[in-house]
Amino acid sequence: MELIDVKDLSKRFGGIIALSDATFSARAGEVHALLGENGAGKSTFIQILSGALRYDSGAIHVGGSEYRPQNPDAAQSLGIAAVFQELSLIPDLTVEENIWFRHEPLTWFGTTCRKRMRAATLELFDRYHFPAIRPDRELRHMTLAERQIVEIAKALAKNPRILILDEATSALPAIEADWLLKLSRQIAEEGRLSIFISHRMGEVRAVADRLTIFRNGSTVAVHEAKAVSDDQIVTEMIGRQLDRLYPVRTASRTERLALEVRGLSSGHRLRDATFALYEGEVLGVGGLQGHGQRELLQALFGAAPSKGDMKLWGKPVSPSSPRDALTGRDGIALVPEDRRGQGLLLPKSVSENLTLSVIRRFSRGGLLDKQQEAGLVREMVDFLRIKADTPDQPVGTLSGGNQQKVVFGKMLLTEARVLLLYDPTRGVDVGTKGEIFRLIRDLAAKGYAILFYSSDLPELVHVADRVLVLREGAIAATLSGDEITEEAILSAAVLDKAA
Amino acid sequence: MTMAETGDAPRKGLRNGLLDNAPFLVACAMLTLIVVIYGTRQTGVFTLDELNLNTTAAMTLMLAATGQTIVLLRGGINLSIGGMISLGTVIVATRFGDSAGSVILWSGLVLLLGIAVGVANGLLISIFRLQPFLVTLATWSILNGVAMIILPSDGGRVPGWWLGFGYLQFLGLSSTVWMLIALLIFWAWFMAARPGITIKATGSNEKSAFLSGVSILRVNALTYGLSGFFAAAAALYLTTQTGAGSPTIGRDYILPSVAAAVIGGTSLFGGRGHLAGTIIGAYILTLIGNLVFILRVSSYWQPVASGVILLIAVLASAIAEKAARKQAA
Repeated sequence: MELIDVKDLSKRFGGIIALSDATFSARAGEVHALLGENGAGKSTFIQILSGALRYDSGAIHVGGSEYRPQNPDAAQSLGIAAVFQELSLIPDLTVEENIWFRHEPLTWFGTTCRKRMRAATLELFDRYHFPAIRPDRELRHMTLAERQIVEIAKALAKNPRILILDEATSALPAIEADWLLKLSRQIAEEGRLSIFISHRMGEVRAVADRLTIFRNGSTVAVHEAKAVSDDQIVTEMIGRQLDRLYPVRTASRTERLALEVRGLSSGHRLRDATFALYEGEVLGVGGLQGHGQRELLQALFGAAPSKGDMKLWGKPVSPSSPRDALTGRDGIALVPEDRRGQGLLLPKSVSENLTLSVIRRFSRGGLLDKQQEAGLVREMVDFLRIKADTPDQPVGTLSGGNQQKVVFGKMLLTEARVLLLYDPTRGVDVGTKGEIFRLIRDLAAKGYAILFYSSDLPELVHVADRVLVLREGAIAATLSGDEITEEAILSAAVLDKAA
Repeated sequence: MTMAETGDAPRKGLRNGLLDNAPFLVACAMLTLIVVIYGTRQTGVFTLDELNLNTTAAMTLMLAATGQTIVLLRGGINLSIGGMISLGTVIVATRFGDSAGSVILWSGLVLLLGIAVGVANGLLISIFRLQPFLVTLATWSILNGVAMIILPSDGGRVPGWWLGFGYLQFLGLSSTVWMLIALLIFWAWFMAARPGITIKATGSNEKSAFLSGVSILRVNALTYGLSGFFAAAAALYLTTQTGAGSPTIGRDYILPSVAAAVIGGTSLFGGRGHLAGTIIGAYILTLIGNLVFILRVSSYWQPVASGVILLIAVLASAIAEKAARKQAA
């Protein structure tokens, strides 16, 4: 018996078709993976299931009866809970207030009963083996990974029949991602349905019983997970053979020092980092999340206060604000962690976003030289193959991968030749990932010096020339050449004594 | 191992707590300073009488600012408070008869009108997705105009017994101090109950609240409806002080109601704030007037002093915000 059965589901946004006759069905007791490139319609589909969007035509049956959710409440009362990629959490409420928001246990006076709320929270954490999180912390003081875990708790608090995990692992460190996979299995074993969305093939392999593949808003295939190869899945997702996900690594490193760092410390999360980055080199940064990677990139970019010596192209610098770090060919540019919050102005156009940080270059006596600006924008859109109808299209309407390309373009236009990349492929579909890896190698070949942090180990192994492994804020190991393997990075990240 | 290690140490939790409440603490410090200066210049400052008197003087602003705080917490703003206060006083001054029945009837109608106008604000904002600033600017103008039509200039009358309300006493405390206590109890209850939590949550992040199943339409109707109710209550109370209606008096409360809330630590961006802070802010703004009088300087110094205090409050919250963000990074 199918727990959920979706037939011929369609949804348009203005002229854009997000879903076109999509079908989907899944049973209680399974983990069902939903795969597809960004823009394939997965997010729209999930939003419809969870009541955040209404559909145009088609039919959804849940537990045999017709389901036409008008709002998120209706979905919840039918036992459908989604862990959203764009979190549904309230920054000014605490962990437990968020988990039980609108379902708080109440006293006789209609006020929240804190004692029962705390007990219920601890029971929930215990039942699903949650990582340690204090229930009384306010959300806005927490990291993305911690908030992601609260979001999962919030979904589970509704004791759903259907749990939807929309790229929930992408914000999690390795150990917590692993926990989430186990949790997914636990849900299935309890006779419930877990719908699992991820761009990481390894995770899908580890957890899914069956998988459905979306492309361009339609369902292209349904498979038993065991009966299908990775290659076939990827081919079906992108609709063509993927030449190669990872580009050929050609040595482009010169002996010229681009960035020399000695004894760099920042707060208590980054201690005494010493390393060098050469022209034409891709230097990977690895380690478990929260071990100083963010602090390292922020300190280098001048966005966090730091101590230590730093030389850029041989000249001593102490960047004290991002503006200082940005200036000109001798500067540093950053692809930030959170492209929606820090990198882009979503309602603004592609061209405005691209030229935002270099706008001074086009001004003549306070007026903008529109032609020069348009020319540069066109070059950048072509170079990066940004898929936008026009440069005037708002960035918020592009897919995640294309948004990330705009961030890259913005960074490249600063002309800085030392680039800091913070997990640039997070939430990016597999086709665009390949393009980004090729771009990174191409830039290195042109003489850029690139510091590349990734939370996905295979990326470091296949793209970087050398890898710094951080553990507890210090550089635990520097791997180069054939030493760079997933096992070596992981053991240096976890163990006291690295190889 | 990673999550547990990144968890907060208690000391950091305390620091976060102090930083979060920095604007409120600064407001308390400023109020203390003002009271101390006041006390060195004047005898009898630290008496119940003085508390009764100042609370009675500040109560209109407190009620208006309560209505404003609710809307600010939702991430909006309500300028129509001014129009509602003017219209309320005008209705009272032209319609109140001498009988208790007439007073109760028209008081009830004024409060209902406040709720209705507020709900209308909320519906306009959510159905047509308009800016709260513009919608309430428009309703302010409309209410103001209606007040002018009913009573073109200050005047009218109220029953004599209505006038003394603010000076009634019970157990040594004035009726207004009791009102204030009731307001704070109401607030403590409201913010622990679902409607209050929902307003705060929606102001903190509207999209998240929507995804959690909140009806934005209902939240806005509730928020602005309550705000209108408190504006109407402010109007009723104001007539017990002035004994007359005034079609223009409401504008004196629009910006001070925002200022009192902000001085007390309420964020203009929604999600953060507390009535206790707003009350402190209202006391500060009221006592500044007394202080200027006692120091025997020109009364034009009053707005200057209010402005400086507002700046200090805004700076305090900006600095605290920055420090908190630095720590989170």
